[in-house]
Amino acid sequence: MAEVRYEKASRIYGFGAVGEVRAVNQLDLDIADGELLVLVGPSGSGKSTALRMLAGLETVNEGSIFINDVDVTLKPPQERDIAMVFQNYALYPSMTVAENMGFALKQAGVSKSDRRQQVEEAARILDLEPYLDRKPKNLSGGQRQRVAMGRAIVRSPQVFLMDEPLSNLDAKLRVQTRTELVDLQARLGTTMVYVTHDQVEAMTMGHRVAVLDHGVLQQVDSPRTLYSQPANLFVAGFIGSPAMNLIEVDRSGDTLSIGTTAVPLPDDVSAQIRSSDVNTFVVGVRPEHLGLTDDGIPASVTVVEELGSEAFVHTEVAHQGGTLTVVVRVEGETNIRRGDSISIGVAGPVHVFEAQSGIRLGASA
Amino acid sequence: MSNAVVDSDAGTTATSRADEVKRLERREGWKRRLPILPALIYTIVVTQIPFLFTLFYSLTDWRIDKVEPRQFVGIENYTSLTSETEKFFRDAAWVSVQMTVMAVLFSLIVGTLLAILLDRQFFGQGFIRTLLITPFLVMPVVAGLMWKTQMLNFNFGIINWLRNGVGLESVEYATKHPMASVILVLVWQWSPFMMLIVLAGLQGQDQSVLEAARVDGASTFGIFRQITLPQLRPFLELGTLLGAIYLIQVYDHIEVIVGGQPGANNLPFYIAQRSIGGGNRFGLASTYSIIVVIASIIIANIGLRVLSNLLEDDS
Amino acid sequence: MAVFSRSPKPEPVLGQNRAVGHLLSFVTWIIGLVFFFPLFWLTVNGFKEESVASADPTLRFDPTLDRFAEVTEANSGLLSFAEAFSNSLWVVLISTAFVMVLAIPAAYALSIRPMKMWRDVLFFFISTKFLPIVGIIMPVWIIARDLNLLGTRTVLVVLYTAMNLPLAVWMLRSFFAEVPKELIEAAQIDGCSLLGQIRQVLLPIVAPGVAATALLCVIFAWNEFFFALQLNPTGASTIPVWVNSQQKFQGQFIATLSAASVLATLPVVIAGWIAQKRMIRGLAMGAIK
Repeated sequence: MAEVRYEKASRIYGFGAVGEVRAVNQLDLDIADGELLVLVGPSGSGKSTALRMLAGLETVNEGSIFINDVDVTLKPPQERDIAMVFQNYALYPSMTVAENMGFALKQAGVSKSDRRQQVEEAARILDLEPYLDRKPKNLSGGQRQRVAMGRAIVRSPQVFLMDEPLSNLDAKLRVQTRTELVDLQARLGTTMVYVTHDQVEAMTMGHRVAVLDHGVLQQVDSPRTLYSQPANLFVAGFIGSPAMNLIEVDRSGDTLSIGTTAVPLPDDVSAQIRSSDVNTFVVGVRPEHLGLTDDGIPASVTVVEELGSEAFVHTEVAHQGGTLTVVVRVEGETNIRRGDSISIGVAGPVHVFEAQSGIRLGASA
Repeated sequence: MSNAVVDSDAGTTATSRADEVKRLERREGWKRRLPILPALIYTIVVTQIPFLFTLFYSLTDWRIDKVEPRQFVGIENYTSLTSETEKFFRDAAWVSVQMTVMAVLFSLIVGTLLAILLDRQFFGQGFIRTLLITPFLVMPVVAGLMWKTQMLNFNFGIINWLRNGVGLESVEYATKHPMASVILVLVWQWSPFMMLIVLAGLQGQDQSVLEAARVDGASTFGIFRQITLPQLRPFLELGTLLGAIYLIQVYDHIEVIVGGQPGANNLPFYIAQRSIGGGNRFGLASTYSIIVVIASIIIANIGLRVLSNLLEDDS
Repeated sequence: MAVFSRSPKPEPVLGQNRAVGHLLSFVTWIIGLVFFFPLFWLTVNGFKEESVASADPTLRFDPTLDRFAEVTEANSGLLSFAEAFSNSLWVVLISTAFVMVLAIPAAYALSIRPMKMWRDVLFFFISTKFLPIVGIIMPVWIIARDLNLLGTRTVLVVLYTAMNLPLAVWMLRSFFAEVPKELIEAAQIDGCSLLGQIRQVLLPIVAPGVAATALLCVIFAWNEFFFALQLNPTGASTIPVWVNSQQKFQGQFIATLSAASVLATLPVVIAGWIAQKRMIRGLAMGAIK
């Protein structure tokens, strides 16, 4: 069991004349003992690099990384007492399932009988007992994934590192394995750092979620807070599916209007706008916080996505001399069709960000 | 539950920490480079250093059959190459060019046709492929002797027997057409090699692109010309390059088939003849070698540019 | 990407139509047989009496093993088959072993990226293949003479190692590059040393590729004639020189020469047949992958 701490840790490529690229830039992150922390971000955000720095597979050029208050920054991977599950599982093809799972123990000089006992125990947890003598190539995708998990848990490491371990599974299996993995982590109580590009995976699995973009940590918080109080424009746009409606608005006084309709704002936000010297803001409203009213923003329907329990209505709204697309969630079945004219009203919290800096206005998390 | 360990680097300054990181990275870099060194050093010692000797010899009038010490003559050997006495060198150079170009070109054409024929499923496909690659595996000396004594022979060669069968006169191929005879054997040996490289290209094609083209209504020939051929280009270039590397250095076939008669002596053969093969003119022959190397460097540069384009794709 | 995969079968370039398909298959068979015919004829001649081989071509004869017996007999003063064969075997096996010992670590290091200059190093290796042998033959001859190595197997081992090294590095790199780098990382995390990573994780995966590369080196070394002739005109010479010496300048010799040729060729032809798929994949994919 262990705590993990990144202290201003950076991974820098290409020193000198070429100019440096910071794949991970001054990352500060505290991960509690037993926590399942998800690192999420688009490709190139540095999430995998951050994980690999913790594994010891990437050099930490600046700053430090601690596991249990021990500085591991300069230690090679095998001295960090971690286990990693790779996206492609990285099972040794020439070894059987049992040999794969026992390989690390063998390297550590664990006796054959102890090894066997530990492998069998892990296999029992993961329902892998019938497959112990098979080679990886004779296993299904889901079984391979479990072997990779087994290889990690056999060692009872301080920290599990997961690099998109589910993205090679088909959609149905992915959802099922997701639940199993959360359950397993809770049972073992081992700290886990989990990397994914899938924000749904991040939200459903993480005790806390760290959002990265361009190597910079944007926000780290519980899934609910990330959703309800995104710290900036990037997090607001990245978290949530379908995405939050983000509408750029030039202020008039302390009011922000979509088309000609003023958006209702909390008092503290209005106050901040009034005292701000910024002119352009972005108003963010999630689809479920918009609704149909008699006297709202006029919109014409372009696409209706019916999911049964709910429907997402894509509309075009006239705004500041052009049109923009706004998505509205409608409960239950709907009679709205393409070409209909509807009227949209705000029925929930509104998020306001400065357009240039992306900083959130009002109460922040 | 974990007992906190005092940070061992707590006292060190930020700069020494950065030095430590750099030192580790350097060590990591050396760990990666070290395994290359034995092979690299071996190659340099055995191939590059002798080359420098050759360069030195080429500036002397050295004959190893004479006891007089070798004299430094500067670039005299080089300027003499254009003189009347060096006509045989120029002939050999011209033979080298013709032989390499024709052997590579014909092998590539025959090899591509064979690959296209083999790239279908039919009864005995694997068997025919095995038959077709066999010439490439045959020892060049054996290939040369076999063609000379049993295929092209004036008296009992199969080809002349067939000619006689349709009422044509026998031809003394190895003497009348020495270069064509050598090229024929080279093409017989190298077409299979080209075939295998092109076949690898054909079978590695992106199937969805071919299907898309078929859905778009392209004809078989149109698909081949507009989609298959561009996809094959890197493989054709690779075949040309590897073929040229080996065929420019052909010696065995010439030694065995024409054995020094005029008309098919290329540069490697001529140089060996003039130096260690009994000519003993080490200084002059080294000059020839340097010319061959310079020509090869030019060809290699073009070739390596092609290769470098190929390697771009996977970095 | 499997080069000769049967399924899923790639679309052929030719022949959607059945009749055309049969015709093409027939044509391919004919061409295959024509290409192989000289070797078939060579083998047939090896089983003939000299007088039958040096006459109008015929398939009607009483096969005999006498020629094979004759060529394998020891001739006093001349290079015998047994000598040439054991020289070839020695030179080929030792040089191939050296090539592998040098090439495997180099190819491993070159296949793991990012490494600055990996491309330049690979180019250097391959570019030495562009250096014509004639560019170094004189100094090599002089050095070998001065070191009393002319006419020894050692000089051939040294040269064949250098000759095959670039090709081996080139081919092995492509096989190694196909191994996912995560496997090595996983082994690292599992606490495996560098040597252990190569031995326990990498080699079992690339063993077929390593075998194919070694086999190609064997074939090239076995078939090499120029160095064997120029540096080894006497005692320690190899099979190609022996075959060439079966060519006589008077009398009939075609059947004897054929029998000798079959003996000289058969080992590598069989080896090549066995390893054909992987060998060519390594050659062709060396550049592409």
